[in-house]
Amino acid sequence: MDMKQYQKENSKIEYSHNYWGFQIAIYLFLGGLGGGILFLTWVMSSFVFPGADLVQAFMLPNFVALLCIVLGLFFLVEELGQPPVFYRAYVTATSIIKWGAVLLTIASFGDLFWLLGNWSPESPVLGWISVFNFFGGLSGVWLAAAGIAGFGIMVYTGVMLSTLKAHSFWSTPALPILFTTSALSTACAGIMLSLCGWPGVVGLEGLAAGHEVHELLHVLDIILAFAELTILLIMVLSFLGAGNRTQQRVAQRWVKGSMAGWFWIGMICCGLLIPLVLNISGNALAGTIACVLVLCGGCLLRFMCVWSDDRQPLPDENRYYFRLKTADKRLFTLYYKEGKELERGQNWAPRENMY
Amino acid sequence: MTRYAMAIDQKRCVGCHSCSVACRTWNDLPMDIIYNPVLGGVVEGEWPNVHRNWVPTLCMHCKNPECVPCCPTGASQQDEDGVVWVDSKICMGCKVCVNACPYGMRDTSHMVRRFDGFVRKCTFCKERRAMEPGKDPYCVQTCHQHARIFGDIDDPNSEISKLIGRSDTFRLMEELGTDPQIYYIPDLGGTR
Repeated sequence: MDMKQYQKENSKIEYSHNYWGFQIAIYLFLGGLGGGILFLTWVMSSFVFPGADLVQAFMLPNFVALLCIVLGLFFLVEELGQPPVFYRAYVTATSIIKWGAVLLTIASFGDLFWLLGNWSPESPVLGWISVFNFFGGLSGVWLAAAGIAGFGIMVYTGVMLSTLKAHSFWSTPALPILFTTSALSTACAGIMLSLCGWPGVVGLEGLAAGHEVHELLHVLDIILAFAELTILLIMVLSFLGAGNRTQQRVAQRWVKGSMAGWFWIGMICCGLLIPLVLNISGNALAGTIACVLVLCGGCLLRFMCVWSDDRQPLPDENRYYFRLKTADKRLFTLYYKEGKELERGQNWAPRENMY
Repeated sequence: MTRYAMAIDQKRCVGCHSCSVACRTWNDLPMDIIYNPVLGGVVEGEWPNVHRNWVPTLCMHCKNPECVPCCPTGASQQDEDGVVWVDSKICMGCKVCVNACPYGMRDTSHMVRRFDGFVRKCTFCKERRAMEPGKDPYCVQTCHQHARIFGDIDDPNSEISKLIGRSDTFRLMEELGTDPQIYYIPDLGGTR
């Protein structure tokens, strides 16, 4: 291979600093969604509509929140190097991960106890669970615990990334605000999709209260989508114009680089603008589609942020790892990771050495 | 109090990578992990005054390490002598410290065996120095150019203290406030 072709082939290769996989992105999304649902449920039940009977209306949203948190934790544990010893995460007080683990535990148990305490004996789904109704006496306490912890989880997902100041794109106060706004927005969508959906008896008063909650969340989701759009654009465009070199590189990738399609079409249009328009139109079907799009947009935001973990390179670091040739990477991957036999010249060819 | 540090004389380094090889051999590292890559090697200057500027790296064993307080299990630790290390028996492989390190000097051994993945890093050959007191880390001992100088920076009579005292040094990404303990004596300028 001549040098020009070699340089052309390898000109776009950049040493990747990706350490966290897709599991962390899903965990951040599901954690934010679950935490947001719990927080909004608590606020609606305790402060906005304190007298209304919203228990049955909120059964399914809270069940979805529990599923989200448990599934998110599953992905988090799966991503660990040593999943069987995940319980060690609770040890160090200075670690943000520890506080995240504590909040997730409080939220999931608070929500579980609330669900068990309010499980109706007439419910066609697992009615026998009503034997746990002794939890019902403390229903308000469980919901408050889950709601407060849920708020903590929403904030924590963004703070966890922003404390890692090695990654310039994450290390900004805007990221926790963006993640919290997005978590609230997706939580509104999640609640609207599942409100009053529990297969049990919902009284007329409950249905009316549920309708009022739906209306309120509808307006709230419009405001949140607008706020999220503003924060996202300000953050990315300010990085592009006035960020350091690493921030600029990531922002360029988002705005006009390899991730531009995902950013403009996926996140801005499908995840924010179209739901905004559909929600404003007021149509019920359009509202449902908007909720689904908001959820997809929130998930895409977490993926894009987790994959934007560029670190300021050391002097000539990219060049060094660039010279560990793609062929050598293939050798490492196939031979050492997958244990495949390699034949020189066929599925592996040694290339230039480190000098 | 003892505080270990390293000085790297860029005038002496010829980019032979023998420190990387020695480290990998002593620590029995898998193929995808390098504790002390020798970066740089770009040709600078104009003929006949040209030189190649090598930047041998390793864990900076910072005084204010980002990677220690973020560890949820307490596996990432710093000794009183300043050496930052990971207790593989406690580490659960969450990779927060790997993401926290601004220098990218931590690695995971995930590629070797799943369910036994923990974070690895340079420890200034902590085990070796415990077994053979007075010995230098392997990368220091192997460097035939004596480009790596290791020692107690708090001891005014140590070679490293004297060298740093009479040289113009710089440290990588000092602006982050981590107070790295690897001092570079640049190729141009340097020892007075």
